[in-house]
Amino acid sequence: MNFVPLALYAVALVAYAWHFARRHAAAGRSATTCLVAAVLAHAFVIGMQTMEVGQVPVAGATSAISTFVWLLALAYLFTEMTTDERAMGVFILPLLVALQAIPALTPSAEIRSAVLQGPLFGVHVLSLLFAYASFGLACVIGITYVLLFKEIKAKHLGFFYARLPSLQILDRMNQRAIVIGWAFLTIGMIVGGVWAAQARGYAAGDPRVQAMSLQDPKIFVALVCWAVYSFELFAARRIGWGGRRAAYLSAVGFAIVLLNFVPISYFLTKSHNF
Amino acid sequence: MHLLLVGVSHRTAPVELRERLDFQARGVELALQTLAARGSTREAVVLSTCNRAEVYAACDELGHARADLVSFVSDFHAVDRALVAPHVYDLSGLDAARHLFRVAAGLDSLVIGEPQILGQVKDAHTAASDVQTAGPVLNRLFHASFAVGKRVRTETGLGSGTVSVGYAAVALARKIFGDLKGRTVLVVGAGEMGKLTAAHMKSQGVQHVTIVSRTMAHAARTAEAIGGATAAPWEDMDGALGASDIVITATGAAAPILTKARIEAVMRPRRNRPLFIIDIAVPRDVEPAAGEIEQVFLYNIDDLQTTVRVNLARRTSEVARAEAIVGEELEKFGAWFRSRGAIPTVVALRHRFETIRRSELERLDFKLSALPPDARARVDEITRLLVEKLLLTPTEQLKSLGDAETVGAYAEALTRLFGLVHQQADEDTEDAPEREPTSARPSAGSGRPELVERRVEPFSRSKNRGPR
Repeated sequence: MNFVPLALYAVALVAYAWHFARRHAAAGRSATTCLVAAVLAHAFVIGMQTMEVGQVPVAGATSAISTFVWLLALAYLFTEMTTDERAMGVFILPLLVALQAIPALTPSAEIRSAVLQGPLFGVHVLSLLFAYASFGLACVIGITYVLLFKEIKAKHLGFFYARLPSLQILDRMNQRAIVIGWAFLTIGMIVGGVWAAQARGYAAGDPRVQAMSLQDPKIFVALVCWAVYSFELFAARRIGWGGRRAAYLSAVGFAIVLLNFVPISYFLTKSHNF
Repeated sequence: MHLLLVGVSHRTAPVELRERLDFQARGVELALQTLAARGSTREAVVLSTCNRAEVYAACDELGHARADLVSFVSDFHAVDRALVAPHVYDLSGLDAARHLFRVAAGLDSLVIGEPQILGQVKDAHTAASDVQTAGPVLNRLFHASFAVGKRVRTETGLGSGTVSVGYAAVALARKIFGDLKGRTVLVVGAGEMGKLTAAHMKSQGVQHVTIVSRTMAHAARTAEAIGGATAAPWEDMDGALGASDIVITATGAAAPILTKARIEAVMRPRRNRPLFIIDIAVPRDVEPAAGEIEQVFLYNIDDLQTTVRVNLARRTSEVARAEAIVGEELEKFGAWFRSRGAIPTVVALRHRFETIRRSELERLDFKLSALPPDARARVDEITRLLVEKLLLTPTEQLKSLGDAETVGAYAEALTRLFGLVHQQADEDTEDAPEREPTSARPSAGSGRPELVERRVEPFSRSKNRGPR
């Protein structure tokens, strides 16, 4: 069922690429239309899975990826509509398509484990997914910043110079995405810790609950992530590390997020393999 | 109705002549009224910029109008006709339309893709609308040209990139800082170049301009000339550098004033704020190595000129796409324009049928007089609808005919078959929705016998009224 949004995301990617290369206004409008259609179809799929299992499908790694893709698409659409800037779409869509391929190719919604209960669990997962979506956006904005920065610095005003918004705007957008992402990352991690403490009370025998400590790769890498983004925020405010350095940091941070989100979730973690 | 263009441009006439033929000197409106009074054209629009003076007209008789327009141009500007004639070009029909489309697209400009021309074309049309010399043909033509200009701008890179050094600097500043409002510019050196660039920046929304010069008096004088700028002493330059976003250096100094070390020292307390340095001095005022500092963007005059050249080359490469758009829009306009060729025939045909209908009703009036008024009205209505229905398909067919030759053949056949009498003055009634209140020849209204004839009792119904 996840194939339909995947196909629509792929079509939107082609349209955004077309718009970026040729700057056809009509191509840009149809790109946005495709993406809106993909997000709606995706919302429908997630809704159906919610009906099927009785709660929002965020417990397993695969369905969490699907929800993450949906949130990232929504976050991007929000940025596009508030800034009236479509240039970023061509950078964000490949990520959406690649990630959406995972739920599209694996069986649909897993049954939620009995251990995972309580409102705190939902807050934990959703705020982390939202944080990751923000970081994804920040990473893409950072990449475009570096591309434009290099063109201006090299005095070779070409492809990106003609298509991207100003450095100042990109830098500000990056900062904002990082601040939002950092806030949700912090909330998600604290709530996760509180929930784990509660779970020790009612499901102490579960091996996964027992594995919830700093030695678990998923939890450890999440903390590394938090450290990276905290440093980026601190550096931007205290030692003037904005612009290109902030852009690089957001790319590094999001690489760690992706690492944590896909390979570690599937193969390494002992605490988060639901 | 024919379309005609007579004009001079930077391609055909030297600047001395163009200056003398500038319509704006005495006012485009006056020119349009003067031309309308001559009576050789039915509609007219005058497009006058520093690179061209063109008269677009719709007329009945091409040869006469062409000669009269050339006379008008020389008469109006009091320039000898023999002096003007060799530089004048004239185009008619769709060639004239193509020319206007290319002008509006910026394809015919001195600097290709130059953005102001579309606004000037719009102004020309507005002026003609104001004095009511633009009619259905030129309205349609000019609106089509606006569409061409807009499409070329959004769909091609013809207008992309700036092609003047001053604008290139402003565009770069915008790409770095976004909005220029609230930014601070520091001008080092009180020379003419620095002053011009600073004034340009100020016109683009920069709020604070500071000028430093070795002689404080010079700086103060230049600051006053720009207006709203402040002067600072030479010794305070480091402080001023720290406070500004854009620095323009234009001194006559033989050795660099701003070394890499000096700028590095200035940058430290600024943290991450970018500094855009435009070095327009020759020899250079800023050490080239300063461009290596993170968040310092250093451009000298050669760099700016290179970007301008690159932009020009890119624009040239977009010409083919722009020409394709001109071709597409010309096709659309051409279809409409050709369909107008059939209008006299359509009008004559309708007039003929209406005349027959009315005369038949009049002839039968004595038989109908016994009927009650509402029954008589119904008879009138039925006959009118009958005529409408009969003429519907022929009208559509005539309007969709392809080329002028076919239109001519059909017109000829219909004229013979129905014994039509062509009435030029009524031509515009077919385009009622887009007709301007008055045409180029206000006296044309009196030549409408139909309106007078229509007062035949009891069947006095306007043919335009719809069915009840």
